[in-house]
Amino acid sequence: MTMMKKLLTSAVASALMVGGAQADISDNTIKIGYLADMSGTYRDLAGPNGLAALNMAVEDFGGKVNGAKIEVVSADDRNSPDVASSTVRRWLENDDVDLVAGLVASSVSIAVSDILEENDKLGIVSGSAASSITNEHCTPNHIHYVYDTYPLANGTASAVVKEGGKSWFILTADYAFGHALESDVTRVVEANGGEVIGTLRHPFPTPDFSSFILQAQASGADVVALANAGADTTNAINTASEFGITQSGQTLAALLLFLTDVHALGVEAAQGIQLTTGWYWDMNDETRAWSDRFMEKTGVRPTMVHAGIYSSTLQYLKAVEATGSDDAQTVRKHMMETPINDMFAKNGRIRADGRMVHDMYLAEVKTPAESKSEWDLYKILRTIPADEAYRPLSESKCPLVSSK
Amino acid sequence: MTMIFGVPLAVLSGQLLIGVINGAFYALLSLGLAVIFGLLKIINFAHGAMYMLGAMATVILFDALGVNYWVALFLAPLLVGVFGMLVEYFLLRRIAGQDHIYSLLLTFGIALLVQGVLTNLYGVSGLRYAMPDMFKGGINLGFMFLPYYRAWVIGVALLVCFGTWFMIEKTKLGAYLRAGTEDAQLMQGFGVNVPLLVSLTYGFGVMLAAFAGVLAAPIYSVTPVMGSHILIVVFAVVVIGGMGSIGGAIITGVLMGVIEGLTKTFYPPASSAVIFLVMVVVLMVRPTGLFGKEA
Amino acid sequence: MTHASNREYEQLRISGLHAFYGESHILHGIDLVVHRGELVTLLGRNGAGRSTTLKAIMNMVGRRTGSIMVNGEETMACAPHHIARLGVGYCPEHRGIFSSLNVQENLTLPPVVRSGGMSLEEIYTMFPNLYERRFSQGTKLSGGEQQMLAMARILRTGANMLLLDEITEGLAPVIVEKLGDVLVALKNKGLTIVLVEQNFHFAAPLADRHYVVEHGQIVEEIRADELSAKQSVLDSYLGV
Repeated sequence: MTMMKKLLTSAVASALMVGGAQADISDNTIKIGYLADMSGTYRDLAGPNGLAALNMAVEDFGGKVNGAKIEVVSADDRNSPDVASSTVRRWLENDDVDLVAGLVASSVSIAVSDILEENDKLGIVSGSAASSITNEHCTPNHIHYVYDTYPLANGTASAVVKEGGKSWFILTADYAFGHALESDVTRVVEANGGEVIGTLRHPFPTPDFSSFILQAQASGADVVALANAGADTTNAINTASEFGITQSGQTLAALLLFLTDVHALGVEAAQGIQLTTGWYWDMNDETRAWSDRFMEKTGVRPTMVHAGIYSSTLQYLKAVEATGSDDAQTVRKHMMETPINDMFAKNGRIRADGRMVHDMYLAEVKTPAESKSEWDLYKILRTIPADEAYRPLSESKCPLVSSK
Repeated sequence: MTMIFGVPLAVLSGQLLIGVINGAFYALLSLGLAVIFGLLKIINFAHGAMYMLGAMATVILFDALGVNYWVALFLAPLLVGVFGMLVEYFLLRRIAGQDHIYSLLLTFGIALLVQGVLTNLYGVSGLRYAMPDMFKGGINLGFMFLPYYRAWVIGVALLVCFGTWFMIEKTKLGAYLRAGTEDAQLMQGFGVNVPLLVSLTYGFGVMLAAFAGVLAAPIYSVTPVMGSHILIVVFAVVVIGGMGSIGGAIITGVLMGVIEGLTKTFYPPASSAVIFLVMVVVLMVRPTGLFGKEA
Repeated sequence: MTHASNREYEQLRISGLHAFYGESHILHGIDLVVHRGELVTLLGRNGAGRSTTLKAIMNMVGRRTGSIMVNGEETMACAPHHIARLGVGYCPEHRGIFSSLNVQENLTLPPVVRSGGMSLEEIYTMFPNLYERRFSQGTKLSGGEQQMLAMARILRTGANMLLLDEITEGLAPVIVEKLGDVLVALKNKGLTIVLVEQNFHFAAPLADRHYVVEHGQIVEEIRADELSAKQSVLDSYLGV
């Protein structure tokens, strides 16, 4: 097993390094590569503004860590695993990039993981949803920050079932992410005593949802759940509102909804929708202060992914500072040992499988009457404790966990 | 309840109606493509971008100047039409008569450029556009709930399609267009200002796309990439109907909307592929398309 | 105004005209003059450059050099539709009947460029067949009817100089005879006609002058009254 071997050698190497307590930052530069969809479907939830968030963390360090200069490069992966792979390979093999950040589309993150592992470099996944990244696809070379499909299903589905939504109809985006979300939701619904009476897999992307909404309406289910993302979700919500889904007594549950999506929909169309989020800008003074700083640079309020990119970069740089090293395993080990306490998460911790677990929040979109400003969009209904939110390690298929 | 292949008749009727509504969009868009292909002999890959511009213009005009839906219904296509004529005059005209691949690449490039600039300015999450008040709500037809706006879309889209067909098939201006489609050089030899006709035709074709864009603004997510998704489908519709056939583009558009709608009912995962399947079959049986003239 | 008095008026003057289709050099310096009211033919073998000369006048060939004056106006820089508006009516060799238009639409398609054109009634009187079939698709007509239509079409526009390319080609003798009558009638109306013709026996009695074209140049000019004297020269050029 190459992974085991790598684990052992890196463990030895890091032991030597820490033992020597020797500052060892190659080329005396920390180079961070920001890879994200800069122009396509996922642009707004991470994209160029995620790069701005990353640069804010670098700024906080004054552009230097232990005297080593921090350099940031970025690239558009265009949601293509091929483009992403070749970019990251070039970064790691020719350009001495130490950390790959961003990482949005799940397929991109999974493809990049292999290359990170081959080169024994570190990646922090902030945008992807698939929980398989730290399950089937776990590696000692990445960390999955912010959220994944497991708490999305857990938070929203269990809350809606408990409120009396017993029968479910799921509209699923017909690709890996949608299927994962659909199975997670089905599990949660059934565990809570509900029933999934129909699922419908729609092509990705689907510009017109009227036909599917009509079928969902005809199903007579209590809850119409959207296991899709981005424009598919906003289109479906718009159409549901046009066809009077909620007026006919059905509840709409969007499983993955970002702040930017809700902003685009507007509270008129999105009001009352419940969703699970890893962070919201208007939770406390700390989040508001950082969001103000972010807004000054970008003109918009940050999504949970933006905040996660900032936080994870900050934690990474702190680990580099503390260990004096840019070795992937040394830094990751230090990050795993150090609880995360910043404006993004309280008592967040990184597990052996690379999953950063932290409290998640069940939120509801405000009504037009409640919403006092353009970005005043959520009210937080409930905090979902970290241990309840994420897949327990006992269910994990990740070899890193069993080898612990 | 009457069932057809396990689907209640009421549900099926609803899906057919939805299919016709979507088909009306396809018809509007493929009509513009067909008109442009007829006279300019170019495959306008910027058509999706023009549709998007129509929708974006509607939202931006409202946000910036408070222009309401009814005014936008005329103003947005007009602005996009003028933009199209400028594109034709300064860019397309320079490669007239060259191999198809040049115009294809040029219009595709224009589409990417327009899309890229707007993505940078407005992002991709979508712009919000409120449904005009008078269209809020809908009517219960017994077998389905039909939002008023969808009823309006189907009516006005088919009206514009019919109007365009009438203009091209029954009027003097349409005769110029049809004749120009066959032999533009001879038309010019008769004293017709063909370069102007070409500009106007391109402008008119993209106006139809922009008009569809305005109709789409209240119901679909308005984003800079909205046109790229629909473009390929519309191309398939034009190929099925037969390149350059006006009536064919309209009928095929509606027909494909219905076929897509039925697929969405019986086997949803295939609904984005079904039109291309039809295209393959049609091309094998009748390479000139359903309504195309035999070469 | 009688046409005799205008015989000195130069309706068309071409000097040193070269024309190219891509790399191939078709016309090598054409010089000719046509006066108002004249009927002039361009004779020559296939590929000699006669049709190209007509197209060059219409600015319908690739590249041209030299000079083409219509009504004393230089037209080398003019777009085809401007040339048509100087009163030039062009009837192409392939007739150019539009299949997506019916007969009447074909007939009324070319815009009126000058006053004095024939009215629709006059045209239908001259070509009764066209009236009977006015709602048929243009290309459903017989070859002869299509040729009538192609001619009639430019008579409506008021053009006073007609460029006619191979109008008798492939037509039955009775139709050719009818076309001959039409040309005589047009000539009597004072129209200027440049006729590219393969059928010398059709052209000979109608024309005032003949130009012989070979290898893209005018090699001979023959007046009607010189015809019999120069018959052998002409035969050698035409390869009869």
